[in-house]
Amino acid sequence: MTAVIQATLNGIMMGSMYGLTALGLTLIFGVMKVINFAHGSLLMVGMFSAYWLIKLTGIHPYLALLIVPPVLYVFGYYLQDVVIKPVFKAERQTREPATVIIVTTGVWYVLDNLSLMLFGAEYRTVRTAISNKSMALGPYILSIPKFSGFVIAVLATIGLALFMRKTKIGMALRATALDREAANLMGIDQYKVYNIAFGLGTAIAGIAGCVLIPFYYVYPSVGVVFDIRAFIIVVLGGLGSIPGALLGGLVIGLIESVFSQFMASTWTEAIIYAIFLIILFVKPSGFFGNKQDW
Amino acid sequence: MSRKQLDTSLLGLAALIAFGLPLVVTSPTYLQILILLFFYAYLTTSWNLVGGFAGVLPLGHSVFVGIGAYTSTILTLQYGVSPWIGMLVGGLLAALVGVIIGLPTFRLRGAYFCLCTIAFAEGIRVMVENIDSLGPLKINGPRGLLIPLKEPSFWHYQFMSKLPYYYIILTLLILVLALTWFISRSKIGYYLAAGGEEPEAATALGVNVANCKLLAMALSCFFTALAGTFYAQLMLYFYPKGLMGLDLSFEIAFIALIGGRGTIAGPVIGALVLRPLNEFTRIYLSDMLPGLHLVIFGLILILVMLYKPQGLTAPLAAAYDKLARKITRAPNAKGAAA
Repeated sequence: MTAVIQATLNGIMMGSMYGLTALGLTLIFGVMKVINFAHGSLLMVGMFSAYWLIKLTGIHPYLALLIVPPVLYVFGYYLQDVVIKPVFKAERQTREPATVIIVTTGVWYVLDNLSLMLFGAEYRTVRTAISNKSMALGPYILSIPKFSGFVIAVLATIGLALFMRKTKIGMALRATALDREAANLMGIDQYKVYNIAFGLGTAIAGIAGCVLIPFYYVYPSVGVVFDIRAFIIVVLGGLGSIPGALLGGLVIGLIESVFSQFMASTWTEAIIYAIFLIILFVKPSGFFGNKQDW
Repeated sequence: MSRKQLDTSLLGLAALIAFGLPLVVTSPTYLQILILLFFYAYLTTSWNLVGGFAGVLPLGHSVFVGIGAYTSTILTLQYGVSPWIGMLVGGLLAALVGVIIGLPTFRLRGAYFCLCTIAFAEGIRVMVENIDSLGPLKINGPRGLLIPLKEPSFWHYQFMSKLPYYYIILTLLILVLALTWFISRSKIGYYLAAGGEEPEAATALGVNVANCKLLAMALSCFFTALAGTFYAQLMLYFYPKGLMGLDLSFEIAFIALIGGRGTIAGPVIGALVLRPLNEFTRIYLSDMLPGLHLVIFGLILILVMLYKPQGLTAPLAAAYDKLARKITRAPNAKGAAA
């Protein structure tokens, strides 16, 4: 029983990391109606940025949270503005343009392989002030970096939800998500909103990068691990739903961690896919999905 | 010369070149590159039946390649059935699986369908990698299956040289291209086009969009699986990660979108552009700097989508149309190349 509870705790903490990755993806999908296949690569960029920042300056990993996400926001904003927006404009008529999906896949290839060219294929870790710290909770052990990662993921989710509800930009994002033509007529610049949404999604990938670096390794294709899970999570939680992303992440993390107590961990992957397909067939809107999106 | 004569003679010329090419290209290496080029053109044309005409974006077609390869190989290895029969069994099985996936997913929006195909393909791949034997069937997990050499014969689907493989895949390609041409001109083709662009409007007009999409899916999966058997017999070895991975599924979609999704010539043109690019950049650049060739690949993908979002076929067809008009002086002839 102790082992199962410990696995549950670990699952929740790792799941919050998946949820944080999915949060950016679901924001981008919710507003733009496009699956961002480059999302894992953006996470990789966030992780490498945090890695080099910490490695070269030796600052505390959570101080990097003040630097990396703003930088990634700018990166994402201009990536969407320069690369993705023109394709969107060319395919204005289509609700979910396939060409945009393919362009994000191209971005994925370029980013992953650029970092392979620059940094090589090896797995890198950086020792930080908190890397191996843990605390005891009765008979259970909580790793400090993972636990603070969990807290930050929850805070980021709440923060994003509040931002979407309370600020003017957030409302513009939601309006565009609901009906982009109507939002356009209300004077919202659709493409600027897309830039902001993509920038925010990338910034969240930057947060995830900073939080992961103290206990996870980084390599050029690290995004793929999180990518596939993030896709599953956003559908599980409901494409475009902010609380759904976190909840979906926790569910996937729990399944992965608890099931691997009873079977080979390679099988848990198959089980996640199976659960995903069942959800899609039975309740495609996920936990909190928007009915008009499916 | 009339426009129709011009089109037919050019098409005949292309076929003649395709059939005569092995007379010029005798090096097995280059012949292999050509075979793989046609293999990808064939796969993408099969994909195009559903991905192009039905207006959805399947990104898990490698699973059907896998179904084809595993079905025929297991039947051959364990029951001594000819791969040709196994190929048909695999095709039918893939069509059935395709319909089973399509039934619940075609009513969903594009993004959901897309993610669903990825999850299904990856799920099956992970399962195959985890299973050593399924009842009496030996699957061999992640190690894949090895087809032992047999006496070369048509019945065994094994040959001394690469040449027969070349003609088999060329025949398959022409077959599926003809089917695409036939469908694009049939009622089903129009229904599919209507259902892909405006499903609600098409349904309101009495088109059974779902059934048309299912038919397209079944055909697409059937032909995709045939390529799986072909690949298995060509290489005589395959393993789940290489054969059923996402890389192959994505490459098929790339070829289709760069060539021109939903056009007849698109997959062939896409394969003609991307495959040599892929092969040669990999051969010449990957030693210099690992990853460089994929950066170039990604950049080309982005650039084509930026400047020609409809793919390369549309501008090529327009250029051909202009040229043909000059030759035939028939101003209202309609382009047949697209």
